[in-house]
Amino acid sequence: MTATLFQIENLAVDVPGRRLLDDISLTLPAGQVIALIGHNGSGKSTLLKVLARQIPALGRTELEGRALQDWSARDYARRLAFLPQHTPPAEGMNTRELVSLGRYPWHGAMGRFGPQDHDAVEQAMTECGMGAFADQLVDTMSGGERQRAWLAMMVAQQAGTLLLDEPISALDIAHQVEVLTLVRRMCHAQNRNAVIVLHEVNMAARFCDHIVALKGGKLAMQGSPDELMREEALQAIYGLPMQVLTRPDGQKVAIPA
Amino acid sequence: MSRHLRIWLPLAAMLAIGLWGLAALRLLPWPEWPALPFTPDDMDLQQILLAFGLMPRGVIALLAGAALGLSGAILQAVLRNPVADPTTLGISSGAQLALVLATILAPDLLAVGRWPVAMAGAGLAAGLVLMIGARRNFAPVTMVIAGMLVGMTASAIATAITLAQGHYLLSLVIWNGGALVQQDWSGVRSLALVVAGGGLFAALLSRPLHVLSLGAEGAAGLGMNVALVRLMAAGLAVWLAATVSAELGLIAFVGLAAPALVRTAGARGIKPLLIWSPVVGALILSVCDGLVLTIAGVTGEMFPTGALTGLFGGPLLLWLLPRLRGSTPPGTERAEGPAPRLAYPRRILSGLTVLLAVAAFMLIWIGRVPDGWAVLDWESLTAFLPMRLPRLIAAASAGAALALAGAMLQRLTANPLASPEVLGVSGGATLGYSAAVFAFAAPTSLALGAGAMIGAALALALVTIFVSHRDMPAERVLLAGISVSALAASVLSAIMATGSPQSWQILGWLSGSSAGIGMAAAVSLAVVAVAVWAATLAMRRWLAVLPLGTGVAAGLGLPLALARLSLILLAGIATGAATMLVGPLSFVGLMAPHMARRMGLARAGDHVTGAALIGALLMLAADFGARMAGFPYELPLGLFASLIGAPWLIWLMMRSKS
Repeated sequence: MTATLFQIENLAVDVPGRRLLDDISLTLPAGQVIALIGHNGSGKSTLLKVLARQIPALGRTELEGRALQDWSARDYARRLAFLPQHTPPAEGMNTRELVSLGRYPWHGAMGRFGPQDHDAVEQAMTECGMGAFADQLVDTMSGGERQRAWLAMMVAQQAGTLLLDEPISALDIAHQVEVLTLVRRMCHAQNRNAVIVLHEVNMAARFCDHIVALKGGKLAMQGSPDELMREEALQAIYGLPMQVLTRPDGQKVAIPA
Repeated sequence: MSRHLRIWLPLAAMLAIGLWGLAALRLLPWPEWPALPFTPDDMDLQQILLAFGLMPRGVIALLAGAALGLSGAILQAVLRNPVADPTTLGISSGAQLALVLATILAPDLLAVGRWPVAMAGAGLAAGLVLMIGARRNFAPVTMVIAGMLVGMTASAIATAITLAQGHYLLSLVIWNGGALVQQDWSGVRSLALVVAGGGLFAALLSRPLHVLSLGAEGAAGLGMNVALVRLMAAGLAVWLAATVSAELGLIAFVGLAAPALVRTAGARGIKPLLIWSPVVGALILSVCDGLVLTIAGVTGEMFPTGALTGLFGGPLLLWLLPRLRGSTPPGTERAEGPAPRLAYPRRILSGLTVLLAVAAFMLIWIGRVPDGWAVLDWESLTAFLPMRLPRLIAAASAGAALALAGAMLQRLTANPLASPEVLGVSGGATLGYSAAVFAFAAPTSLALGAGAMIGAALALALVTIFVSHRDMPAERVLLAGISVSALAASVLSAIMATGSPQSWQILGWLSGSSAGIGMAAAVSLAVVAVAVWAATLAMRRWLAVLPLGTGVAAGLGLPLALARLSLILLAGIATGAATMLVGPLSFVGLMAPHMARRMGLARAGDHVTGAALIGALLMLAADFGARMAGFPYELPLGLFASLIGAPWLIWLMMRSKS
């Protein structure tokens, strides 16, 4: 059995008048690209934010065997990088400066920005194909370029785990494939983990190793892409009759029936 | 409608009616009340006082509060900034300046009535702001900054004139304070018409404003003429606020507090905001006026109610902010056009440094003598140096310290309107100073300095409590600061209304002066400025990450609570030290960081350094101007800084359209 990344027990999140996540117990395996899917409002983004320690939750959640609140802020940021769904405007910053911010958990407020940090930044930009954009202002770039710039910042953070909140929702199909391929390659080549909130079920099945589906704040299913790509499973998750076709190469594709 | 509103509104209404009724019954027992319709000929004096004094007063408090609340709600919706209010667009200051000018230059004009004069001033100021805004499609950030700049320039001129023409002060101050005293029903009639018309117009605008809450792009995509809607909404808000200003004077804070309270009480969307803000505004002003009426037996009729709104509203908002849920409107939109970014910031930084050195040198060397200008020879230089050097050092250090504080706060809150003046630190210092003036028969400068410092520290502690609250969004911290400022402003207005000798001393200090400073004090201020600068540079990585928001900052493992706390503390120290010298009216802390950014200094370290240099330059120039313009008399230092800086910043903002 593979190692455990996140161990979640009886997790619940309340906002006044509403329970966003209800009694979720879940084990997320390490070394895999994990997709969080579900209908709008199913709580997938909320779950991701809990894992990123952006919002507090009831119940017990552990990263690598240690409860979330026991980690110090910097140690946590060295383990785990989080990309919000809407990246804030980076006023007056060029790509290299944005990517350099990813080194904060390592050098802190006062530490020297050493050769290691420089290498990590250059490497991250190369890896995400941002080398040519290093001196360009982030706010003047296209959506796909900006997304890759922020990804490069996460890469420079050198965290073992990447949490991405709908990283491809604003991109065209070519850039969607490009970003997900990049994430998948980084995970498999460098043994990282990724948890990605995705809308597009076919993208989830194609690029991810493990699927977690939420419905109305509860766990609906988890398993391999093959277990997801069945008509009854999809109908249970989305409440819509779906048809699953098989491409000549064996890859399965779901479309609304 | 939320539970909070359902409980509190009736309570406030009962309080307002009760207080008014108490005053009315004290004036005249119930059985003797005049019957409708009122005919003055058949009434005795008490009955006339009730029917044509107290009754219209109670009604006008409701109407004015409603008008201000509506105006504030519209402005906050259209500018999408939770700290926008009628004073933000320069409306009140424009009216004030017009009245001051008329009082001194053409008193005959006032015989016709204050209303047309104040309206003209308010209209001109708002028109100027709208003109600047028009060049950027009425983008919110530009509008608010332009409004603050125009407002501060106008009130700087007005205060300077007031200082120069002291004997008119009292009547102006009473107008400034917003007295609600009425002699007949005419004020009620005209204001009722305005409120009714404004309400109707606001109802027509509610749907466009609702669409506009999507943001300019989304609204334009739905086929809306964004610029037109913004112009109409801003025009309506100006009209409402200017009418109240002209009729009653400056009533601060209601326009800001009413929509803020409605929003924190959980009202969402434009329609509830537009409906409930006037109601809450009317109740705030009524309760305040009721309290004034209750105390009036002791302190006399003329005590201005407008001075009291901040006194009660400020603490009320402070108390409510952490308790109530609900969101402030989305952050300001970035329609201003990107500020330029320099490839080689070192050049401009060294240029500024050289300029600063040259300016300091020149200012020592050149002076004004009774019959013209003179370049000092060596002998007089050595004679003048001990006199001039301390004030130069002090002025430059104060400017740098304020600018540093402003740059820190703007980055910390990611709000371009943050500044020490806005965060209430200056207000606190003013309160402390006033307390010292009144507490000692003959206060020493040490006692006054200590008073200002303690006041600043207390205000800061208050704001810091807010900051250390978990997940307290930056807008609420700003609101807390503004509440403190409003509180300080009301206390000041109340003090001014007494017209006592102490009030003159405070008014003089308010506008700042570097005349009395000694070498020791100047050097210690310089040490503070340099230490703050060094500390800011040490924190420049926090300052680079913080504008990206708490999500990213927390994701990178930034110790948020610690960062906020230390930055606020540092900003407070810098402000407290500088305010003691230049008074709280300088606005260098707001202007200098913007100028640095507009000049193309983008990186956190360059930005704060550039801001400090510009702040020092501004204050040096202001000090020179203050000494020379009215030679041999000295004019206020802080006022001069506003006069020099505001037009410059406006020019910078207009220029860099990309």
